[in-house]
Amino acid sequence: MNIIVCIKRVPLTQEVDLEVDELKKGVKKDALAYVINDWDNYAVEEAVLLQEKFGGTVTAITIGDEDDEEILRRALAMGADKSIRIEPGERELDGFVISKILAKTIRDLEYDLILTGVQADDDNAAMVGTMLAEELGLSHAAVVTGMEPEGSDAIIRVELEGGMDEVSKIKLPSLLTIQTGINEPRYVSIMGIRKARKKELVVINVEDLGLSEDDLAQRTMIEEVFLPPETEGAEMIEGDPSSVASQIIQIIKEKGVSI
Amino acid sequence: MLSVHPVNDTYLGLPGYVFAWAIFIAGLSLFFYIIYKRSLLIRSGEADPRLASLGRRLSDLLTYGIIQKRQPRYLWAGVIHIMIFWGFVVLGLRSIDLVTQGLNMPIFHPLMQTAFGPFYDSLKDLFELIVLGACLWAILRRALIRPERYRGSHQFEAYFVLGLISFLMLTDMFYEGSALLMDQSGQVKWLPASELAALILQGSAPRFLAGTHAVSYWLHILALFFFLNFLPLGKHFHIITALPNVFFKRLSKGAIKPARWGVEDIDELESLGVEKIEDFTWKHILDFYTCTECGRCSDNCPANAIGRPLSPKMLTIKLRDHCFDRAPLFGWKKGGAPAEGAQAMVGGIISNDEIWSCTTCGACEEECPVFIEYIDKIIDMRRHLIETSQNPKTFNQVLMHVEKTGNPFGKPAAKRADWIKEMEGTPVRALSEGDEVDVLFFVDSYGSYDPAAQSIASDIAEGLHIAGIDFGILGPLEKDSGHQVRRMGEEGLFQLLLEENMETLNEIRFNRIVTTDPHAFNTLKNDYPGSLQVVHYTQFFVDLVDNGSLKPLKRLEKEDMYTYHDPCYLGRHNGIYDAPRKLLRAIPSLNLVEMERSRDRSFCCGGGDVMLWYEIEQEEMRMAEKRIQMAKEAGANVIVTACPFCYIHFEDAIKTGGMEDEMRVVDLMGLLVSTLRN
Repeated sequence: MNIIVCIKRVPLTQEVDLEVDELKKGVKKDALAYVINDWDNYAVEEAVLLQEKFGGTVTAITIGDEDDEEILRRALAMGADKSIRIEPGERELDGFVISKILAKTIRDLEYDLILTGVQADDDNAAMVGTMLAEELGLSHAAVVTGMEPEGSDAIIRVELEGGMDEVSKIKLPSLLTIQTGINEPRYVSIMGIRKARKKELVVINVEDLGLSEDDLAQRTMIEEVFLPPETEGAEMIEGDPSSVASQIIQIIKEKGVSI
Repeated sequence: MLSVHPVNDTYLGLPGYVFAWAIFIAGLSLFFYIIYKRSLLIRSGEADPRLASLGRRLSDLLTYGIIQKRQPRYLWAGVIHIMIFWGFVVLGLRSIDLVTQGLNMPIFHPLMQTAFGPFYDSLKDLFELIVLGACLWAILRRALIRPERYRGSHQFEAYFVLGLISFLMLTDMFYEGSALLMDQSGQVKWLPASELAALILQGSAPRFLAGTHAVSYWLHILALFFFLNFLPLGKHFHIITALPNVFFKRLSKGAIKPARWGVEDIDELESLGVEKIEDFTWKHILDFYTCTECGRCSDNCPANAIGRPLSPKMLTIKLRDHCFDRAPLFGWKKGGAPAEGAQAMVGGIISNDEIWSCTTCGACEEECPVFIEYIDKIIDMRRHLIETSQNPKTFNQVLMHVEKTGNPFGKPAAKRADWIKEMEGTPVRALSEGDEVDVLFFVDSYGSYDPAAQSIASDIAEGLHIAGIDFGILGPLEKDSGHQVRRMGEEGLFQLLLEENMETLNEIRFNRIVTTDPHAFNTLKNDYPGSLQVVHYTQFFVDLVDNGSLKPLKRLEKEDMYTYHDPCYLGRHNGIYDAPRKLLRAIPSLNLVEMERSRDRSFCCGGGDVMLWYEIEQEEMRMAEKRIQMAKEAGANVIVTACPFCYIHFEDAIKTGGMEDEMRVVDLMGLLVSTLRN
């Protein structure tokens, strides 16, 4: 089974006091640490697990500059066989452009399955996976929490609203967007990542893909990025631990979580 | 001397010395063959340089090998062992003498004709009784007292060998005793053992005496060669390997061995760590051969004490058995591959949880009479687990955070110095490259981000400020020291942190480094290259109190009973026991009581690495909880420590154990600072 995994490098924003940049179109990124998008990490693990079980190759693809090669090497260290980086140059990208670029790159490759993360940690758009599937004319499923190949099909488990799961059969080749928790991604050591330098990493310039200007034109225009206004309303729960605990449970129940 | 030596008799028509030679050649050939086979595995082990500082090695060999200084840490077992060991030293000459007599080459004959002869005869007789007594004592001790630490050891072998040694003593006693009765020369010697045997044999017919004489000799010689060949087959191999093992012991503490000795750049290595037995260093394989199964390691191991699946003794026994399986006496060639389908060593023979149970506290190594090492082996196996992604999944995020943000919490590097904003009235300088400072305060990740450890860092900063020390912190330039990361087995990440920290340290001019944390202190001092001038805060402040720069004058408010818990990486790994105690004694009206397990027998709180992110399910109680109990038993209601991790573990244990009303934990620095404030 030949699998393609599309991955993205995103900033680690936990506990960071994000600052909006001068143009108010994004956040200041120079002091941020970058990691592989968490969802994509699960997608890579899933691809590698399937490859370990059924053979074939895993190809990891990302769009980005040289710094982004780090996540490709991480994917290679996890067990991917080859990797492709598409250099976008100075071009601004949105979900539409990204899916166009990926579709064009993937079209010529041999594959039975494409995996992406459900969404990326930075913009949370969750667009690329499904748009890419449409672009390639593939059957697809989103928020996949389980996958088992069965001949030329695959049995997949998809997470629905309200804690429901849906199991269905999908025809291969197809595209799945992978939800966290589908597996337990392995740790790859620093040495493992360094050794992965020996594996194949192909760089393609976006200009060489032969995409039209229209294909490369963003469809999502950001008007303004701003921090949410600070609001009042934090409720301080007081009392001894057991009454605090029961009040918290009450709130959780009221918010609709079934305990 | 008797006119007829047993070897001069004829047996089955052949002179006795033919049999003596036959026994000698067969016994020695077999022995060398076994030793050769055992050495094959040692020679296929990894490199491990152990020849530097010959003088120190010889003096340690004398102290720990010959005088056996560590033996009496378990008093009676130690005394018994020393009696037997010294018996072997004295009686070795006697054995060679008896064998060479049989070969008709009595090389010691001239020596025994001198004044030394009668003296030695008396001495060896005395030691035969001492050894016999010690063996009987040891047998009774094992049978009646049944020390817990022998559980899982080869008990039958122990009894068998004690019996065999006794048999050797008895045969020589009866050999000489019968000779005494047959001797008409009238020479008078003090031979207590022989005379005892003679007393038993008294009145026997001359034929019986001659028979006893001959039989005793042959049994003695046969038993001797049997014993020699039996040694390398089990735990009594230590009789041969213990002295070399002590001679080749590691001379420095605290550091973890490099991934491979002699390889500067780990990028050159195909793989890190230990997967199969030959990946251990030759010395570590010698360690396995040397274990006496005395169980002192496990008796002191905190992981073992709280029911985790780790027992250092069993780890060694299992790996020694594995050594013998991998390199059997017949049919193994150096470099041979393990059999198909054989159980994996790491993850199989030694389970992953055994490997992760260790806190690297070093109690086992401190106790081992023959200096068997454990920490480096455990870390080498962890390196393999990390490399093959077999680590606990909870490590993934921690290690990723350390790599990406320089701290295990994943908090922004930019916030590393945020704690100094909270310091009222104490200016703390965050250093930049090119700055110059007297004391560089290395706060490390916990001190920088964890609220409990932050308060310790604040107290240190306040103490430095009160003493008028020119100091600064690295702030966002500082990366995690890597102590935890290295001990979790992520060597590549450790090297990365080390490089980054060294680059920063090279850009700042300072006289010495002071650390919050014994772990950071240990790694900067022992794991980092060069010789950084680094001290733990207890060492630094004891000097300030000594020279009068700081005066802890303010009396403590409450009448408490304090006890000091030695953090492993301050005490055992770096020998700092007195500085913290001296600081405590400098505090007016402080009542101090020692726990039974203190100083080099301190009991680990749970540790500063794996334990923070991985729970070993098989556990009866927390180490910290057990330690708090020990403090209570000592009569203390305040446990003082000098390590943020001990503090965190103890605080947690006091809360979860519902002991807030009876026990408190304080960091030594907090205590000291409280006596400096007006």
